[in-house]
Amino acid sequence: CARALVFGGNVIASETGLSCPDRYKSSKGKEYLTNILREKRRKIFGLIERPVLPPQVAADTASYKIFVSGKSGVGKTALVSKIAGLEVPCVHHETTGIQTTVTYWPVKLRDSERVIMFRFQFWDCGEAALKKFDHILPACKEKLDAILLLFSFTDRSSFDDLPNHMLRSVTDSENIVKVVVGTKFDQFMHTDVTEKEVQEFQLTWLLPVFRMKSVNGPWLSDGRTLDGRAGLAEVAHLLNALAERLWHQDQVAAGLVAGTSYAQEN
Amino acid sequence: MYTNTLRKKMEDRAVHLLCLTASSGVPLYCRSRGTSQKQLPFPVIGSLNGVHMFGSNQDVLLTTTCTENARVAWRVFHSSITLIVLTSDDCASDLYLGRLLENVFNAMVLVVGLDDLINIKNVERLKRDLRASYQLIDSFLEVSEMVGDLVQCVDCVLSNNNGVLQSCLDAFTQAAESQFGCLLVRGKVVVATEKWWRLSAQEVMLLAWLVASLAPCSSRDYPIYLPQGSPTVPHRFLSFQLLPGVDVCVLCGPTPSLQEVENELVERFWKPLLEPLKDCLRIQARAFPGCISLHQGIMGLLLINREQKKSLYTVQPHAGEARPESTLSAEERQSVLRSFYTLAVSRYFVSEDGEDKSMSTQEEFQAGFSHRGKECYVVSSDHKCYGIQHEQHQLFLLFKPEVPTFALRNITTKTLVVFTKELPFC
Ligand SMILES: Nc1nc2c(ncn2[C@@H]2O[C@H](COP(=O)(O)OP(=O)(O)O)[C@@H](O)[C@H]2O)c(=O)[nH]1
Ligand SMILES: [Mg+2]
Repeated sequence: CARALVFGGNVIASETGLSCPDRYKSSKGKEYLTNILREKRRKIFGLIERPVLPPQVAADTASYKIFVSGKSGVGKTALVSKIAGLEVPCVHHETTGIQTTVTYWPVKLRDSERVIMFRFQFWDCGEAALKKFDHILPACKEKLDAILLLFSFTDRSSFDDLPNHMLRSVTDSENIVKVVVGTKFDQFMHTDVTEKEVQEFQLTWLLPVFRMKSVNGPWLSDGRTLDGRAGLAEVAHLLNALAERLWHQDQVAAGLVAGTSYAQEN
Repeated sequence: MYTNTLRKKMEDRAVHLLCLTASSGVPLYCRSRGTSQKQLPFPVIGSLNGVHMFGSNQDVLLTTTCTENARVAWRVFHSSITLIVLTSDDCASDLYLGRLLENVFNAMVLVVGLDDLINIKNVERLKRDLRASYQLIDSFLEVSEMVGDLVQCVDCVLSNNNGVLQSCLDAFTQAAESQFGCLLVRGKVVVATEKWWRLSAQEVMLLAWLVASLAPCSSRDYPIYLPQGSPTVPHRFLSFQLLPGVDVCVLCGPTPSLQEVENELVERFWKPLLEPLKDCLRIQARAFPGCISLHQGIMGLLLINREQKKSLYTVQPHAGEARPESTLSAEERQSVLRSFYTLAVSRYFVSEDGEDKSMSTQEEFQAGFSHRGKECYVVSSDHKCYGIQHEQHQLFLLFKPEVPTFALRNITTKTLVVFTKELPFC
């Protein structure tokens, strides 16, 4: 089975009381997560740095390029900041050009002692620059592994546009992991998209839809620093899903497993 | 005069920046900082613009004015864009306000290009495009730890490893098919290629401030216009975060792609230099390495290389443990040093190269003296300052009040020798 993975994120989930017993690997998972946390905050890695795992752990790094796609203001930059454990900007500044952000996510394979350090590089670009400069979109799509298709729960049109959005962004022949993310899920008071519609969308398109709240917090006791562990718990479901699908895609490509398409889980 | 500043908290000083179309007075944006973050009421914006327009209709150029509690400066760029700055900081000098407006306009050119600012076809679109320059513009309104905005010479860091870093940067830049490369630590230049230094001093400063003002990311491919060198044709500005706080930048044409440079070059060239790069982070606040020790009475230093358009600026001039008690907070030391620089260059060290002359609309007394000073000093109850101007360098030092006034000159001269003769900041 391709899904022979135990995820670092599940350990966090268990700590916050949302334990998934069959994947529970307390002490181990915790150990790996300490490599992407410093004290209680997220560690930021420069391009010439790597998380250091204990020497007895045979860890491989698997790098992936993920394009974050969606119209201006939908929440691309906020989502990437949230995932990376950076502060989400409270005012909207249109992103200029391309901006990439690297995030590490340690994952332990379920049926072996192997740990895979997933290295996700998120590519985010502003819409204006994309229209004004020809080189930007091709650069984002060059050697792509996955695409996050964003819509906002507070913007009906962005949800309705998803089918076209997909057509514009990816061709079917490409081997690219596609994941839909609904942003601004915290704004449920103003939501324009119902739960039922999301369910229907998943069934029709056989694509997973993740709900995200790209808001700052919780904070550490100093009131200024983001709590890295709690922040990770909020994005773990998305990172796990990406890791799982990308790993599966690699195994299919390597002929290790049959290429069944990945239907939604849960 | 500027000691009043110290009594007031910096944050209490409000600054409002207005940008309007010169022809019709349509507001393009408004940026503010300070406790009264509230936007200026529309009628105030209208009057500020109106009085300037009225003047120009009468062939009167209104440049600055001050009221009981505010200072205002106006400037029109290319007969197309009007910038107005209003500040409650009663010590903001004309020199500073003038350079602020210039920096802001250059920031606009950098991001949207000169064409779109001169031929405004669609105001709404321009407004939208200009939003991308807000972070850079805001960084000029904030109280900064850098001084390049005022002196128009980029802040630098002098590292022990300048040699290896320079050769690595040269090789990396060449491999990226460019001649323009620069290594930055928290917005200060560590090393740059020879061609980079041939960009105008303002461009070198703007690009460093751009990186410092943007939210940190692993890498970026950012289209920019060079205000002097290429105001209408964009270039690709690539930056790579080697370590948090340390970025290497190159200016490129259409190739290579961001991904190519990142995957093939970044680690290959820079990973061997991990330790020297970490060292840059350690020394950046001080701006020069621990092996140089200065007189214990010095609380701040601003050294400008006028030929190469570089500056070294610090208010923490003493390494680690040896940090002496200071009467002024870091922010106050910055403010005093900036004010002293302003006083010196606008009154005593007036430049001959006419660059500032054209702007000078001051009264005769204010414009300085018929002769040029070479040295000047200021003594106040909680600090002293001494400035020296040589052919190639200007050095401004901030001292503790206990240092005897007769010793200031000697210490300053000796300090200048340390930096110009014994170190590579020449
Ligand atoms: N409440 C809330 N606000 C969000 C969320 N995602 C984005 N925003 C806000 O929406 C605005 C646009 O987000 P941004 O990420 O800059 O959009 P982009 O143009 O797609 O990069 C910003 O003001 C964000 O703070 C979210 O999940 N919840
Ligand atoms: Mg964005």
